[in-house]
Amino acid sequence: MTDGQPDGSATVETVLGPVPADDLGVVSVHEALLSVFPGAEYAFDVDMDRSEIFRTLAHRLMDFHDHGGRTIVDSTGMFHGRDLRLYETLSRSTGVHIIASTGMGPEEMLGGYFLTPQTNPPTPWPAERFADLFTREVTEGMVVPRLERRGPAGLVTVAAHPEGMTATEESLLRGAARTSLTTGVPTSLRYGGDALRELDIALDQGLAADRLVVGGLDRKDAVAAGVPLAVARCGTYVALDHVGLEDDTHVTDRERAALVVDLVEAGLGDRILLSSNATGKAVGHPGNDLAYSHVLSTFVPLLRASGLHDEDIERVLVANPRDLLTRR
Amino acid sequence: MSKVNTVLGPIPTEELGVVAVHEHIGYGMPGSELDTEWWKSPEERYEETVPKLRRFREYGGGTFVDATGICNGRDIDHYRSLSAKTGVDIIACTGFVGGDTALPFFARASVDYLTEQFVHEITVGIAGTGARAGVIKVGVSRGGRMTDLDRRIYRAAARAAVTTGVPILTHLAIDPEPAVAIFAEEGLPLDRVLFGHADDGLNAPKTPHEWILSQGGRIGFDTFGYETELQDPPFWARPRRERLDHFVSLLDEGHVDRLLVSADANCSPLGWPGVKGHTVNYLFEDLIPDLRGAGVDEATIMRLLRDNPADFLTIQD
Repeated sequence: MTDGQPDGSATVETVLGPVPADDLGVVSVHEALLSVFPGAEYAFDVDMDRSEIFRTLAHRLMDFHDHGGRTIVDSTGMFHGRDLRLYETLSRSTGVHIIASTGMGPEEMLGGYFLTPQTNPPTPWPAERFADLFTREVTEGMVVPRLERRGPAGLVTVAAHPEGMTATEESLLRGAARTSLTTGVPTSLRYGGDALRELDIALDQGLAADRLVVGGLDRKDAVAAGVPLAVARCGTYVALDHVGLEDDTHVTDRERAALVVDLVEAGLGDRILLSSNATGKAVGHPGNDLAYSHVLSTFVPLLRASGLHDEDIERVLVANPRDLLTRR
Repeated sequence: MSKVNTVLGPIPTEELGVVAVHEHIGYGMPGSELDTEWWKSPEERYEETVPKLRRFREYGGGTFVDATGICNGRDIDHYRSLSAKTGVDIIACTGFVGGDTALPFFARASVDYLTEQFVHEITVGIAGTGARAGVIKVGVSRGGRMTDLDRRIYRAAARAAVTTGVPILTHLAIDPEPAVAIFAEEGLPLDRVLFGHADDGLNAPKTPHEWILSQGGRIGFDTFGYETELQDPPFWARPRRERLDHFVSLLDEGHVDRLLVSADANCSPLGWPGVKGHTVNYLFEDLIPDLRGAGVDEATIMRLLRDNPADFLTIQD
């Protein structure tokens, strides 16, 4: 474990091993590589052709690279199709750094092992068990189920139900925060109903505010309530992580750009992260058609047109994710 | 010709022999594969499993029905290899142990989709192996009442059973009224359903055995061997004598044609420690002697272990 000092020794855990933090370049902090809706791998009509999956993902990563992207964070956790050996090969083939995550959520995406264990009564897992599971994915390596461990996870990712965090999701978040405290990798929370309250749950574990990123803050309800600024003022990273998605739930790219300007003008430019939550290859669910390069190809020009300076853009794309992801 | 699907292909019913009707090569809750606490090397898995199956065959066992549902570690290639190498016929299931073991993809699926999944696994094959399921597994989620998802799975199973002629076996026989109603609505005769785990310590007191029998359902005393006398009994254990007396009382009442027995043991558990010393061979080492001791004759024992399972498992035209 490094001490995370900005002296050149700081590193980030990628699927091919630790990489100097300054080598990450432009980072997209919340994306999905292979995204398998849990259980779809057992469906009679799902055919997972690894060669085809590889081709699709490699093509998308090369496109990201062509637009100046250098590092992708697969923020889908340990139970949504994560395929470490595939990611290692993809990283070698495309030259894009890939950071994979441990963690799980929301609750409805969990397996019965965690929710209705073979005990009487079937009490869902408490925070300390999740902390142990996630911590070992950093200290001993991420699991390929029932086969082996590979490299360490680069972050812990958890998510809550949009209508409000459940008790088990609180346990997941506490477990993630404890993992971050123990191992020095950050926690990423896709917030549920109340970002500030949920953020407090993580900080209550003793986690420093800047070891946490809250995602989903480009939701209309969050933006309308001023939550992104409030989260940033706590010292926590704000992820506008659906760039390119325009639906009933999220603000438009134009509104996202205005929000970035607001944050920068409020002196909070060092808390902003951008990503698209693009699904590189979706199995068992529709996914989306967004490119990993969308932020670079489409959104950055919009930021420039909104009057944002290049050094602010550089900070958001390079320095902020580097500081978040550097293992401390 | 009457037949049954095994993992190595269909066999004539006449070849089944003595059947253990509700067993597991290895069971784990979905997600347990992420927890290294339970991982075993392939060497360990074979080492734990092969001697049990070999002994099963030496005792006169013919067929092992694996009731491990989709998402619970069901592993058809492993079963095929075990069957080919030990000579024990293995029947795999489609379906789910309960709604709470169906992963989100299936939890969100429609009855039509679930039906299609089950029918495909019975008529085409499971996960590209070509091995066809011989039974359909359904069950009641933890909590004691059938959930909406449990009911959707039961309905899909009923439709698949009507379409394919393969029978249904259940995990738990508590709260059977909604199940019986679903089977009636779908036109599935209740002798195609084995209401399982009617005998365990936790659920037997809550299971309306007489009512299920009066409706025409089959009853599974299929957790034989999970006894409070064990050194470290599981929470569903029951005193050995109490279970046996209960079973013999149902025999005495004339229900022999509706009763099936099994041990629900794991050869090599996947996501839990298992219960030390408990194997499928309880049937030969303990149950048959106990039945003899209770005055049950050989013909009845063979009905329970050979004829009733054959009736139940035979694919209906």
